[in-house]
Amino acid sequence: MNAPYLPLFVALPLVAAGVASLVPGRLLHRSLLLLGPVLTGIGGVWLLSLHLTDMPVAVAQVGGFVPGIAIPFVSDTLTAVMLTVTGLTTAVVLTFAMRTGESSLPYFTPLALILTGGVNGALLTGDLFNLFVFVEVMLLPSYALLAMTGTWRRLGVGRLFLTVNLVTSAIFLIGIGLLYAAAGAVNTAALAGVAGEDPRVALGASVILLALLIKAAAVPVHGWLPRAYPGTSAAIMALFAGLHSKVALYAIYRIYTVVYDATSTYLPILLTIALASILVGSWASFGGDTIRRVLAFQMVAGVGYILLGVALSTAAALAAGLFYMVHHILTVGALILASGAIERTYGSGNLTRLANLLRRERGLAWIFGLALLSLVGFPPSSGFWGKVSLVMAATQSDAVVATVVIAVIIGASIISLLALQHLWREVFWGPPMELYRPADPLIHEGDPNRPVHLPEWVRIPRGDLVPAATMLGLSLAMFLAAGPLFDIAGEAIAGILDPTAYIEAVFP
Amino acid sequence: MIIALTIGVLVAGGTYLLMHRSLIRIAFGVGVLSHAVNLFILTAGVPVYRDEPIGDEMTASIAADPLPQAFVLTAIVITLALTVFLLAMAVIGRNDNTHRIPETGEEHDR
Repeated sequence: MNAPYLPLFVALPLVAAGVASLVPGRLLHRSLLLLGPVLTGIGGVWLLSLHLTDMPVAVAQVGGFVPGIAIPFVSDTLTAVMLTVTGLTTAVVLTFAMRTGESSLPYFTPLALILTGGVNGALLTGDLFNLFVFVEVMLLPSYALLAMTGTWRRLGVGRLFLTVNLVTSAIFLIGIGLLYAAAGAVNTAALAGVAGEDPRVALGASVILLALLIKAAAVPVHGWLPRAYPGTSAAIMALFAGLHSKVALYAIYRIYTVVYDATSTYLPILLTIALASILVGSWASFGGDTIRRVLAFQMVAGVGYILLGVALSTAAALAAGLFYMVHHILTVGALILASGAIERTYGSGNLTRLANLLRRERGLAWIFGLALLSLVGFPPSSGFWGKVSLVMAATQSDAVVATVVIAVIIGASIISLLALQHLWREVFWGPPMELYRPADPLIHEGDPNRPVHLPEWVRIPRGDLVPAATMLGLSLAMFLAAGPLFDIAGEAIAGILDPTAYIEAVFP
Repeated sequence: MIIALTIGVLVAGGTYLLMHRSLIRIAFGVGVLSHAVNLFILTAGVPVYRDEPIGDEMTASIAADPLPQAFVLTAIVITLALTVFLLAMAVIGRNDNTHRIPETGEEHDR
């Protein structure tokens, strides 16, 4: 049960960040940048194999204090799944950042490594205040990364992102204060099931959940995400899409199942939020003027699908939501990276400025098309099983809820399909593209805003598409290996639905 | 009662300042709001005066609850760092909420 190595998931990236900010050297920075997330991913796989065989929960009581006073790092199956997925996603996205040259920006390496450390900490911590601290550790480098890359709009959206997150942090802290005043503890294991016994605890935890919902960008508190994320560069957006909102959703999963004991008392509220997110996100996708803005609205819809698991809060629904979360990280990541590859070569992600890419870019069209199918939920992709399992989980609840949920899932999928068809038609079909905005100063003659004639030989370099293809390949692999993966998801959900092993591990 | 009123006034003032367009005022608003939150967390312990909770020198019955104080200390550090960053953002693009491209000394594209 005791696993004193768990803090290394946080300590090693932070130490590496310190080294990287002091020692220059391209090779060193690149290897640190890859080693951090890759080691996280490998550590996640290793923890996962450990949890699935003989040790369901691993605990490190930091500082050697007695249990209950020490701030524990806890890893169970859910944590290990998330560590694996976020670690590998970060590694793939960072290879794209190396291709685009963003990784050579000053302090990029330390910032990305601090981000990795913060994400790992937020996933591993067994204490709600520590969760707040690690979310801040994760967000601090994000503010700098957002302000560093992308177009000049990033400064405006950086203000928005920063202000929203600061106010959200204040709300989070109010929740912590309420929770501590009512329950006298902020340790997740000590809080197991108390929200059902004491409404004051339920109030405190609900304020924390509100803060997490804002960070996850669920409707009606989603407005910042589709404005902020497309303003930054594709690599950074992919990084944020895979990490930030998903860490918040992970925390919602854990808090709702453990502290609220997955009660169905709040089903109407949660269901409204989830279904509104699905509908608003899908519908708003019509309005996006750039590829990545459409994708940002699809992310809001994805948050809704993932929250459906919490709203229905049965074992099947939670497992389906977890599967959907992993699918969503991979698919949206693939699409954002592919969009980044387009922007890098053709100088714009604007739907009206791109056309007829199907003729020019076969490989890209395959990647983009399959990933869009995955996003809508067609086979052969992970999105298909994600949506099928959510629908199947919904049929287990009572008739009215099941009808509404299934109707919304199908309706929203059709809306998404139409919106994404619009995207496909604008970008991949249409008359041959004649003008583009190259990044090469020899071609655009000093004015990057001036569109120039698009020569026939211009193609996206293969290497730019490799990260997107990797993410998509993982999504397709999820389609084939859905059975075993659902077993793991079920195992992870069983661990948080019945936290006995978790509590026994934290308080031996 | 006084603490509750103080928190209320601070939250109201912070919210008012957050409603402004100017980022400097937003920064002040965040500062005021975070003070309110810090006071709020302190009241989660025992709000009346207690003795310092240091090691073995103090019996638990008259010592203050150290946990909310530790929370507040952490929160103050984080808020300070973020306020500094917010002020830096305010300096970089003085008017970028009015469609003027800020002068960052780089080429702006698309």
